[in-house]
Amino acid sequence: MSFTMSLYLPIAGNSINCVAILGLGGVVGLLSGIFGVGGGFLMTPLLIMMGIPPTVAAASDSNQIVGASTSGTLAHFRLGNVDIKMGLLLLVGGIAGGTVGVQIIRILRQLGNADFLISVTYVLMLGFVGGYMFLESLQAMRKSKTTVIAEATPKSESTYAKMMRVLPFHMDFQRSGIRMSLLMPLVLGTLVGVLAAIMGVGGGFVMVPVMVYLLRMPMHVVVGTSLFQILFTCVNVTIMQASQNHTVDFVLALLLLIGSALGAQVGAKIGKKLGGEQLKIALASLVLVVMFKMLYDLLARPDVLLSYIGGH
Amino acid sequence: MIRMHSPSCTWLFLIILALIPSMVYASAPMTMTASPTNILMGARYDGVTLKASGTIPAGSDVILRFTGAPEELHLRQKGKVFGLLWMNTGKVRLNNVPKICLVESSRPIDQLGAAGTALQLASLKSTIKVEEGANSGNVDLIHELLLLKENDGLYAETMGDIHLGPDTGATRNFAAEIAIPSAVAPGHYNIEAVAVKDGAVVGQQTLDVEARLTGFPAWLSKLAFKNGLLYGILATVIAVVSGLAIGLVFQSKGAH
Repeated sequence: MSFTMSLYLPIAGNSINCVAILGLGGVVGLLSGIFGVGGGFLMTPLLIMMGIPPTVAAASDSNQIVGASTSGTLAHFRLGNVDIKMGLLLLVGGIAGGTVGVQIIRILRQLGNADFLISVTYVLMLGFVGGYMFLESLQAMRKSKTTVIAEATPKSESTYAKMMRVLPFHMDFQRSGIRMSLLMPLVLGTLVGVLAAIMGVGGGFVMVPVMVYLLRMPMHVVVGTSLFQILFTCVNVTIMQASQNHTVDFVLALLLLIGSALGAQVGAKIGKKLGGEQLKIALASLVLVVMFKMLYDLLARPDVLLSYIGGH
Repeated sequence: MIRMHSPSCTWLFLIILALIPSMVYASAPMTMTASPTNILMGARYDGVTLKASGTIPAGSDVILRFTGAPEELHLRQKGKVFGLLWMNTGKVRLNNVPKICLVESSRPIDQLGAAGTALQLASLKSTIKVEEGANSGNVDLIHELLLLKENDGLYAETMGDIHLGPDTGATRNFAAEIAIPSAVAPGHYNIEAVAVKDGAVVGQQTLDVEARLTGFPAWLSKLAFKNGLLYGILATVIAVVSGLAIGLVFQSKGAH
């Protein structure tokens, strides 16, 4: 059976196969719904492979994530998995950090070697985050299987925990069932914002581990809250890209969205069924796969020594 | 400074001038028609097959070249850093780069002598100018550009779909099909047919082709480029509403 469902996209300047785009959206949306990541780090390279210019792929993907994360946030909200207070604090930090990050990149570009820093940051961050989550979840799964020692109280309170207690402005985050200083999400949100701006991604795959390990939120609330925060970040990016660079192809985004919003709904339900540790280990594997792909790209000689401006 | 005082020199010059056209195009004149010369890029546009046909001098071969929209191109150059890692090392600015260049010939182009060589993709090396990044070591930037464009399907050199008829008197017919890819940008192009015999050009015809957006793509493109902010807000609102709608549809099916 041959599908001739082609559609011409004037902003991308190419025609695409609707079925392929819907399928791509579906797969990435599924992952996004399960893990609470925007999926930008997967979708953009796949779109480029399908003949969409890198700048249009990245910007349209942001537009698509707006829809997908709306749908995902709604699904998680109904399941009681969105900590709006925490999400808003992270968002405020994220926007501030993003602004700082954009300036850092501008200065680095003037000094040269910005691309080197971006690539190395990418591989190190992905490697560190993926590796840590993977090992940590593996240990946790082994422990729960053997159930040998119900470890008594933690040997001593870590300096990190002490620091968290000392900070002022404590408040309750009921959804997450934690109490901490509001400075924590603000500062961590800012740091993630800086990293996300440098790396040119939404930051979901950095934000999720930050929420799990540094804010110590329960995994299911992490996913919903991350989607909530990504929604606003991507609204900002879409409007900026459309008005300044004219790189948002909203027809492409809409097709991706239909696929990914459906995928995200299914993903949210799968995520609920999976255990927290399984979820973490699956996300860690995904992050590691992307890291190895990037590392390979850095080490292997490219077929062509020129590339269009806009891709990574 | 050249001076031509003697009348005999002037006459010689005029005679040579008069002879040039007949030396280049010694045989019968060429004709060509092409369709479509107006490429309309609507919502269902997925590339188009351009049909060209006409007559060339008897015994000659034909080379067809679809080119156009020369532009300035900014690219990133990849290089090895610390002898280990491949990454973008600098910017390259090239000028006079045709957006597209599709070359088809009725026989392998390297068998068509000097005339063939002059029309090969590699001939672009003499017309494309490297404006920035020329001091980038031993990398042949234009060769890399040709590779990049070939990967995109915008540059190609093939033994194309060309049918040559038998010689009928001083001419023979040709009919060709050129597949124009969907990635071609709106703009002005031309299709050029060059008749080649014994390594020399014996005839040439050029037709203009225009590609332009129409219908929904034209409307969307106008909105995006003329009113970017409104377009961005619209794109966001549509995405949010669609996301909510899909979410509500899912709930109403009572999946949980």
